[in-house]
Amino acid sequence: MYFLEFLLKRIAQGFVIIFLTSLLIFTLLRVVPGDPVRLIVGGMAPDNVVEEVATKMGLRDPIIVQYGRYMWGLLHGDLGQSYLRPKSGMIATGGEYVDPSRADMASVGELILERVPLTLQLAGVSLVFACLIAFPIGIAGGLRPNGWPGVLAFATQSLFVSIPNFWLAIILILLLSVQLGWLPALGYRGFAYVILPAIVLAVEIAPFLIRTLTVSLGEIMQSHFIDEARVRGLPKRRIVYGHALRNAAVPLANLLGIQLSSLIGGVLVVEYIFDYPGLGHLTVNSVVGRDFPTIQGIAITTSAVFVFVNIIVDLISYSIDPRVEL
Amino acid sequence: MVDTMAAIGPDELGSKRVEGSIARQILGTAWRSTGFRIGFTVFVLLLLASAIVPEISPYEATKMNMKARFLPPLFLGEKWEWGHPLGTDQLGRDMLLRCLVGLRYSLFIGVTTVALMFIVGCGLGLLSGFKGRWWDMAIMRLTDAQLSIPMIILAITILGVSKPTVPTIILVLGLSGWPLYARVARSAAVAERGKEYVRGLRVVGAGDWRILLLFAAPNILPPIAFVAVLDIARIMIFEAILGFLGLGIQPPTPSFGTIISDARKYLINAWWIATSPGVFLAVALTSINLMGAALEKARNKIYGGA
Amino acid sequence: MRERSSCKGKWQMISRRTLMQGTLAGAGAFGIGRLNPDFLFSSACAQEAKTLRFLAAEALTGNWDPTTHTNLGQLIAEGFMFGYLTRAPMRPENPTELIFELATSLESIDDYTLEAKLRPGVKFHDGTPFTAADVKATYEYGCQPDRPAQWYPGQVKVEVIDDLTCHIKTGDFGYPAALYYYLSSFLPIMSAKDVANKAALSAKPNGTGPFRFVQQKGDSTFMEANPDFYLGKSPIPAVEYRYVGDTTTRTLALLNGEADIIERLEQEQVDTIEKDDRFEINRAVSVENKYLFFRCSKPPFDDVRIRQAACHAIDRSVILDVLGVSGTYSKAHISPVKFGYTEVDNYPEFDPEKCQALLAEAGFPKGEGLPELTYYVSVGFYPKTKEYGEVITAMLQEQGFPVNLQVLELAAWGNLLYDKPGGGEGNMIDCGWCTGSPEPDLVLRTHFHSSSKRICGIVDPEIDAVLDKERNAGTVNERQDILQKETLPMIAQKAPALALFTSVFIHAYRKELEGMYIYPNGMMDANKATLG
Repeated sequence: MYFLEFLLKRIAQGFVIIFLTSLLIFTLLRVVPGDPVRLIVGGMAPDNVVEEVATKMGLRDPIIVQYGRYMWGLLHGDLGQSYLRPKSGMIATGGEYVDPSRADMASVGELILERVPLTLQLAGVSLVFACLIAFPIGIAGGLRPNGWPGVLAFATQSLFVSIPNFWLAIILILLLSVQLGWLPALGYRGFAYVILPAIVLAVEIAPFLIRTLTVSLGEIMQSHFIDEARVRGLPKRRIVYGHALRNAAVPLANLLGIQLSSLIGGVLVVEYIFDYPGLGHLTVNSVVGRDFPTIQGIAITTSAVFVFVNIIVDLISYSIDPRVEL
Repeated sequence: MVDTMAAIGPDELGSKRVEGSIARQILGTAWRSTGFRIGFTVFVLLLLASAIVPEISPYEATKMNMKARFLPPLFLGEKWEWGHPLGTDQLGRDMLLRCLVGLRYSLFIGVTTVALMFIVGCGLGLLSGFKGRWWDMAIMRLTDAQLSIPMIILAITILGVSKPTVPTIILVLGLSGWPLYARVARSAAVAERGKEYVRGLRVVGAGDWRILLLFAAPNILPPIAFVAVLDIARIMIFEAILGFLGLGIQPPTPSFGTIISDARKYLINAWWIATSPGVFLAVALTSINLMGAALEKARNKIYGGA
Repeated sequence: MRERSSCKGKWQMISRRTLMQGTLAGAGAFGIGRLNPDFLFSSACAQEAKTLRFLAAEALTGNWDPTTHTNLGQLIAEGFMFGYLTRAPMRPENPTELIFELATSLESIDDYTLEAKLRPGVKFHDGTPFTAADVKATYEYGCQPDRPAQWYPGQVKVEVIDDLTCHIKTGDFGYPAALYYYLSSFLPIMSAKDVANKAALSAKPNGTGPFRFVQQKGDSTFMEANPDFYLGKSPIPAVEYRYVGDTTTRTLALLNGEADIIERLEQEQVDTIEKDDRFEINRAVSVENKYLFFRCSKPPFDDVRIRQAACHAIDRSVILDVLGVSGTYSKAHISPVKFGYTEVDNYPEFDPEKCQALLAEAGFPKGEGLPELTYYVSVGFYPKTKEYGEVITAMLQEQGFPVNLQVLELAAWGNLLYDKPGGGEGNMIDCGWCTGSPEPDLVLRTHFHSSSKRICGIVDPEIDAVLDKERNAGTVNERQDILQKETLPMIAQKAPALALFTSVFIHAYRKELEGMYIYPNGMMDANKATLG
């Protein structure tokens, strides 16, 4: 019962947060300089067309009315339509006069949905890579914090966290793709295109994993139950994997929840450099093209994902270790 | 780095009050670690270099020289010159100077932004934790909401549609990074509120603000400030990313992100233009991270009951 | 904005002979020495092996109506899909040659009438036969003053004589019909049915060209060979037009084998690609001049002396140094491959003393008292804009102009490019103009006549007068004379913009690509090309 009550409360809170986020983003994009209608019709459109389109789209109504309309759509699962991308998918670079009569604009929801799988794939692969780097280094460092594995863990972590991701990305493209020709780098035409960006992201995520692993393993190894296990004569391997890792899992899960927002930041830059057609790429292009409905949709979607992933993380922590306070 | 902030639990802060200045103890402990000393030395050297070298150099970071374009760093290739130890860029500007001036801006933005985040975040957090009730409710929900929008999306959205200048960059990064500080400060303030001395002061008739500013804040804030050092590195990377996306400081002012982004197309023929600012940034960040990590360890040790 | 379209110039043929030599020389290294990196994704590539993959520097607008944009990328795509009355290959040895495509002849009947005989048996992609009614619909629609592209010198009437003959008439509007002779190679012919239905016109391109539209997928436009093309089906079965904004990305894609031909390269990429014998480089002096436009309708650049002073502060030879292969010297407001080009005597050159004298005369000695001047340049599309933007900023600052450089992404830049009531954004903006015809009025009238004043916003009766005089000239020789002796010098003196240099368009392509024509405005003729 306690559990269910918690769940409902968290979900309700989650919705409040998403509501506030959307309000925040919506207001922000409305008070910022620049007339979105000019973007829709293009730089060469005559002024009367601008006003006509603005009135037709309700963009001259008070912000609160517009927000109400937007939220009403959101409740029905409608994130609005892109200013820049027609259904066919091509984008304008601005400046031209675009007939308001032009072909239907793409729905923001669809734009996001069609890119989510690609971004999830990238995020998944990079998490796997990050774990492959972090687990050996982190576990060794946690078990022998004062020996060389500890130093190695600390050094890797300090170094990786200090390498700017975009810089690493272009160096890797130059080395692995251009000079050696081992991996494709730009665009997306198959799984091979995920590897390079995933490596860059993995380098960005790994230090946090290493750190959490070393710290929590180190703490746990010093705690009483490990000593007890030792006294009971359990082999070291079992102690580590059976007990310590299980206990380190809670902070690890929490970390992933919190790290999600940095991960999104990384994905954004990395997708942009590798021309990888995921959500981050869409975000950067929407920002430079000032496609407000799409930016809004992405921000709301990511905040929803963030909120609910964190609820799930709490649940996982609870199921791993029921002592965790909910 | 987000987790470093989250790791400061509510009970750690303030539950154990050590006599004497906690700040001094933390600093002392950190100073005894090798990591801190290395980081500190490197950092001070970089700081001095960026402060002094551009002032005494015969060249200027923004002065172009079409005859000296694409000079390689010392001892590489045939055209290198003593005057340009790291070579020159596509417009014949000295790379060493550009990196050092870039470092100035990067550090300035990093430190100022973290200070802003710290002031706004801790201010709201203390208020929220100390006042409680609807103050708490409102501030914390706002914090949650803002925390749920990735900082970078917020930053590029605002900078993408308005003119990026140094003050706007600081403002935007600062205003999008405060929520974590608010959370941590609030937890500490809640714990502090229940303490004997606070109740004592209330009885004596001290107002909320007085207690908050004169007595509670000095106990709560320094430990958070030490961990904030790590955030300086994070903001410096952020500033570079913004520059890389074309949303950072505008030319001719050099900044790491802009230099690397511009040099991308010269990577194959003149790799040093993109490489040296990358190395500079990475070294500066490593030094800050070494110091930050040592400070954090020291703080944990002291609060952890050493 | 970046207008380009048909134009005069040389079209560059990728010669079979050089191609063969290159292939033979490179065969060993290429076939044996290279590790095949495609093992993970080769199946996807194999299917598309014969598609010509073109990476373009500019995105399409999303509106297929050719009269609504001035976007070079889209003009290139139109070149694949639409038909033209004529095409102007603009070969250096015969720059004024026209190749007849949808027209079979263009004859002048009198000063105000041009007769076009049309090719029989041509069909649009939707199966409708091409007739004089389509020419009438296209011309009368495109010349409307509310059409944003403004390619037409003025309004026009077309009289249908029979299915395959029509008269282009300008008598009612008071300018010679001869202007349409070169324009015929530039204006894509739409179907009358589509012109009557705007929604269809903007939704899907329907031309008579060698390729027809298949689908749009993200930033890629897919086209397939048109089996009913009047010259026969192209040996290349399909073309993919893909927008990749970043020059480095385009270069890497070519080097990685992910593209067959790429455009808009810069010196450094050319250096890299030239070292690699798998690729060829094509250079062509373009019809595009790059301009520094002053916003002439508001202070301080409403004062001609300040504009001249700024022009004298800029050393164009340094800019050419920065550009390397991507630019070439010119000394007029039109490109050397345009009709009427000449090196204009009074063109403002670098002269700091004159600059200071003019500044002092205008009341701003050494620039003191001038407001902060915002100078916008774009990044991503034009070569080296940011680099020379910084150079120009430094030069102007040296003379005391308080210039603030703003580097914008293409979309943001495009949105504030044009003049508007009260003056355009900022004080100076960088832009190129690449009209695809030898016709100089496509630049001069568009920018400097008060009826259009696209970017600079200049309203000057003296400029208007010389522009009208040149347009209304009776003969070609007389027109050239007026252009060179009156119009161009007047514009140079009034300096509503400074033409910085003429662009050189650089394409790089795989050696296996053979028989492709590249026009000086970037359009391509892939009709006879093969991809080995």
